[in-house]
Amino acid sequence: MQITIDHITIDAEEGMTVMQVAELAGIRIPSMCYLPGHTNHPSCMVCMVKDLDKGTMFPSCAMPAAEGMNLSTSSEEVKEARKEALELLLSDHVGDCEAPCRLSCPAFMNIPLMNRLIAEDRVEEALHVVREEIALPLVLGYICPAPCENACRRKKVDEAVSICLLKRYTAMDETIRKTGLEMPPQKSGKRVAVIGTGPAGLAAAFYTLRKGHACIIFDKQKEAGGALRYSVPDDLLPKEMLNADIEIIMALGGEFKLNYMVTSEIWEKEILPGFDAVILATGFRDENPLDGFGLPMLETGSVIHKKSFNSGIPGVFGCGSIISEQLLSVRSVAQGKKAALEADSFINGNTYLRRKPMFNSAFGQLNEAEKREYMQEASPVNRTDAEKGYLTGFTREEAIREAQRCMHCDCRKPVSCKLRIYSDEYGANRRRFAASERNQLTRNLQHEIVVYEPEKCIRCGLCVEITQKEGESLGLAFVGRGFDVRIGVPFSKSMQDGLIKTAQACVEGCPTGALANR
Amino acid sequence: MSENKENIIPVVDQIVGKQGTSVEAVIPILQAIQEEFHYLPDEALERVCAITDISPSRITGISTFYGQFRHQPAGKHSIKICTGTACHVKGAPQVYDAFRRELKLEGLKDTDSQGLFTIEKVACLGCCTIAPVIRIDSVTYGQVMPEKAGEILQDFLLSKATHQEDKQPIESIGPNGQGEIRIGLGSCCVASGSSEVKSALEKTLADAHIHVEVKQVGCVGICHQVPVLEVVKPGEPAAYYAKIKPEEVKNVVLNHFRPEGFFNRMKVDVIGLFEKILNDGSPLSVRRYQAEERDTPVAEFLDPQLNIATENRGVVRPTDLDEYKRSGGFEALSRCLKEFSQQQVIDMISASGLRGRGGAGFPTGKKWQLVKEQEASSKVVICNGDEGDPGAFMDRMILESYPFRVIEGMIIAGFATGADDGIFYIRAEYPLAVSRVNEALNKCREEGLLGDNIMGSGCTFHIRIFEGAGAFVCGEETALIASVEGNRGLPRIRPPYPARSGLNGKPTLVNNTETFAFISWIIRHGADAFARIGINGSRGTKVFALAGKVNRGGLIEVPMGMSIKRIVEEIGGGIAGGKSFKAVQIGGPSGGCIPASLADLTVDFEGLMEVGSMMGSGGMVVLDEDDCMVDIAYYFLSFTQSQSCGRCTFCRIGTRRMLELLEKIRSGKGVPEDLKNLEHLAASTKQGSLCGLGKTAPNPVISTLVYFREEYEAHLQGKCPAGKCIPLISYSVNDDCIGCTKCAQRCPSDAIEYKPFEKHFIDQEKCIKCDICRQVCPEDAILIT
Repeated sequence: MQITIDHITIDAEEGMTVMQVAELAGIRIPSMCYLPGHTNHPSCMVCMVKDLDKGTMFPSCAMPAAEGMNLSTSSEEVKEARKEALELLLSDHVGDCEAPCRLSCPAFMNIPLMNRLIAEDRVEEALHVVREEIALPLVLGYICPAPCENACRRKKVDEAVSICLLKRYTAMDETIRKTGLEMPPQKSGKRVAVIGTGPAGLAAAFYTLRKGHACIIFDKQKEAGGALRYSVPDDLLPKEMLNADIEIIMALGGEFKLNYMVTSEIWEKEILPGFDAVILATGFRDENPLDGFGLPMLETGSVIHKKSFNSGIPGVFGCGSIISEQLLSVRSVAQGKKAALEADSFINGNTYLRRKPMFNSAFGQLNEAEKREYMQEASPVNRTDAEKGYLTGFTREEAIREAQRCMHCDCRKPVSCKLRIYSDEYGANRRRFAASERNQLTRNLQHEIVVYEPEKCIRCGLCVEITQKEGESLGLAFVGRGFDVRIGVPFSKSMQDGLIKTAQACVEGCPTGALANR
Repeated sequence: MSENKENIIPVVDQIVGKQGTSVEAVIPILQAIQEEFHYLPDEALERVCAITDISPSRITGISTFYGQFRHQPAGKHSIKICTGTACHVKGAPQVYDAFRRELKLEGLKDTDSQGLFTIEKVACLGCCTIAPVIRIDSVTYGQVMPEKAGEILQDFLLSKATHQEDKQPIESIGPNGQGEIRIGLGSCCVASGSSEVKSALEKTLADAHIHVEVKQVGCVGICHQVPVLEVVKPGEPAAYYAKIKPEEVKNVVLNHFRPEGFFNRMKVDVIGLFEKILNDGSPLSVRRYQAEERDTPVAEFLDPQLNIATENRGVVRPTDLDEYKRSGGFEALSRCLKEFSQQQVIDMISASGLRGRGGAGFPTGKKWQLVKEQEASSKVVICNGDEGDPGAFMDRMILESYPFRVIEGMIIAGFATGADDGIFYIRAEYPLAVSRVNEALNKCREEGLLGDNIMGSGCTFHIRIFEGAGAFVCGEETALIASVEGNRGLPRIRPPYPARSGLNGKPTLVNNTETFAFISWIIRHGADAFARIGINGSRGTKVFALAGKVNRGGLIEVPMGMSIKRIVEEIGGGIAGGKSFKAVQIGGPSGGCIPASLADLTVDFEGLMEVGSMMGSGGMVVLDEDDCMVDIAYYFLSFTQSQSCGRCTFCRIGTRRMLELLEKIRSGKGVPEDLKNLEHLAASTKQGSLCGLGKTAPNPVISTLVYFREEYEAHLQGKCPAGKCIPLISYSVNDDCIGCTKCAQRCPSDAIEYKPFEKHFIDQEKCIKCDICRQVCPEDAILIT
């Protein structure tokens, strides 16, 4: 049997679904409710394709392929239909993909994950999480104004989690700080120059080194640190803390050329020809005008593009106040990382680099009942003060106690959730079909390894089928009908009773964050 | 009934013993448990799982899917408020609110504090012509006004206390002699008191020693005039007595079966009075129409009709097999078995041009052919009687009145397709239909018309009844099959079509009740006779439930291709109360609203599709100037939305979002953007849903947006032109008020101060817009603005 999909004629076997045939030809069709080996589909309608002869659409996961079919899986119309299905699902979905604290962090640090690792006394791993986004944990642990704490949902319950101090805590121990360093697997043999050692430059150097490139960091001052060293008073940021963060960059192999003024001549003769990429982190152009560097002025009045961190010269990038005045060091640090990644991409032949943030389903404020749902997982204690004073920071006990106050606002499946992945891919707008009133959020924590969040469920019923197939004595069931249908345990029993042997299988089968590991 | 919890286990064990332990028995088991306890106690369900193959997951899924099942204890009596279309346009929402007020129910409670009554809305009780209708246990009340809620409850309790009604059915009294008296016992008739009339009749005849046959016939169709009594005497034209009351029966009987002089005197009187009634509408309970006289409302109502599915309407006793046979019954089956091959039968059905009457209009012969061509050891024929459309009661009437005709159609289908297993799928809300069909099936079995070796032909066909459990979506064939298999009634993707793989994987023919009712006629009269009726691709006749704002509602059967105008004006007698005809809603929630300007349109499959409506199962609700089209769209969509199975994203969430948009518009909060979003969602829901429910749910919205867009726009401006949308209207008293105080006495929210002989005023703060003041005002002094 032959069918045509996107103008490709494919030989199909009797009994195959359209989706399976498409797969043969390497055409990927998105789907949420379809799980190979299971029958309970279709429901999500994300896998819709169009029958070009009949003019109708149908879900490809369940439609048997038939001789002579002529289908489109990628026309604008099909994409729009899939997007709408996703948007309808989103209109009925309540839950944050990423926690509000992380979203409000200019460096997008994974704060809730850090908190959970600290709470479990896994400091080294916590530091690793911090360093994914923040090259200078100690510096920012002192001087960051912590916009995250303003966004922290716990703030509406009593007081925000002391995120900034917790982050500093992860890097306070010298042994952990140094053993926890993730060294690049192998050197690339490429050289990157970073000019300027303020927060942006140091961060750019850190991530450049982690990409395996050699990095030489120039500064006209005698010591590295830029504004951090020369503008921030000691009682805000002890110098040994700044030094400790810089030591890490040196430990990674960063080579500092201090007291070295990069003039236009050096720029022309040594920097541009001598490096595979250059990152300018020279601060305000008023103070460091870069005359004679030959950088063309962009429409925005800057020499560096604020989204791509590119300049008019290929291979030359910029970050920090060179773009525009940065009031927050954490933003400079964030830009340092992005500029480093842009440089890395350039070096590797302009490999794809995602610049847009991932799709996120933020839902707004918690009401009183929802605060109680969230507090089930958080320690009820008040915000912890550092007993030995702010400059010293948290002790281990204090840090653990404070980290346990985190309410786990982030989704437990931010990476594997298909609703998020496809919403991102299809550019879904979660507000398009938003109801006037959103659903009430609940968290079912009855099961020892599974968290069930019904407001993230798309009612595909895969979990119900899994429990029945595996012969759970109770299992899960559809409860109700139509818009109000829910997944529940029969006879109002607990999830613990419902999922005896299939808990993990259900978590893995669930296409969203509705069923997830605790 | 046993409410003792200790009883649960033995009772359940007994039920399971009767229904069996297989998965397919789940719905009948649940129905039996609910019958016993009035709800489904968890202990009972757990017991079922312990002793059957039914898993906890399945029993939970099923018992929460079907609307019939309750999980909370219910009151002693159940009040069902019909919210079908006809009831809706005649004020069912206000009736519902009035009963809730009367029972002092707050919030989500549905049972009063004494545990006496449980109230619920039901899709349609199928008594559209006497709307609004409510049913308390088995007692149906028609034309219920909100202000009567208290009286009705009292009446019900009183009648319960005074007489335990004896429910023995009368079939006939005495041998054939002087003639016969026919009494309509369709649901509408029963609801309006025909059983009381029947009792009075029996008593009169017994007391006077009159030997005359009393025939309990099915629905006469003149549902707007129920209860109906027909007196047939040899040598005399038949006389209909409409809206007859028990106390009047005696006179009527004596008029006919007593000396001539007396009868003549009365006859003159009655007819004279009758003409007067027609002109001025003054109340007179007995209305008598002579069958031979033209120009009477009955003649106007009946003449343009053509009875095929409803052949012998009002003449035959529903469950009298001999009578059915005398009027040609089972002749068709006999000929099929003896004279025709399977293929010849199918060819005949194909040649007749018959198309499925369930809505989509698929050619019946072609469907039969597909099933016949399948090689299988067993095949199934299902009669789809899961009529759930609000505003439709054709199936109910056909099943109640002509059970043998449908059975015969099914057996013929079984013969032609090679099926051995037949199933009647009937809504549980139609208890009378279930019992009549059951009785008819038993008689057929006794006579060898069903079972092994039918009529000595060697042909085998068995039929059983499956009672639906309250899910509109089960009218869709794949969902229907899923529910018979003991699953949640979820439609599935087609192909494979049931003709190839249906019930338990067997080739399955699913036809609508009305479709089967045509079969024997076609065989007896030939395909050509049927094909000669109708127009274009729509042959034969179609049964409609005509209701709403017409003078004469009822069950009608007309040739395909009759114009809407003729149906409304000739058969329906035009719009009641001198109002103007605005639109007709055809096809229930899947159909659309056709404006009065298109009244010349002929009613046939393609014609209706072209204007954005569809045949549906045949509900035809006439709307007048007082009906708001936004409200109508909201009404239908709220029905389909609540009936969505919840599988497809577009139907589950899309219909809900559309409903929210309509609600916004209806409350005057809409913005122009909302109309666009509504249109957009309507289009994508049609496109992205698997089954007919989702694919057609947007039709009422789309058609009203096309034909009545200005009404939507008026709502955006904060006005409801028809004065229907509660948030946009207010009640006031005009200068015609005579100060009779009736409104003040009746106002449930004390919004009107009691001021004898003075003009009354309505306190807008307190007014709950229940409409009672307007209904009780003798001077039409209540204004809606």
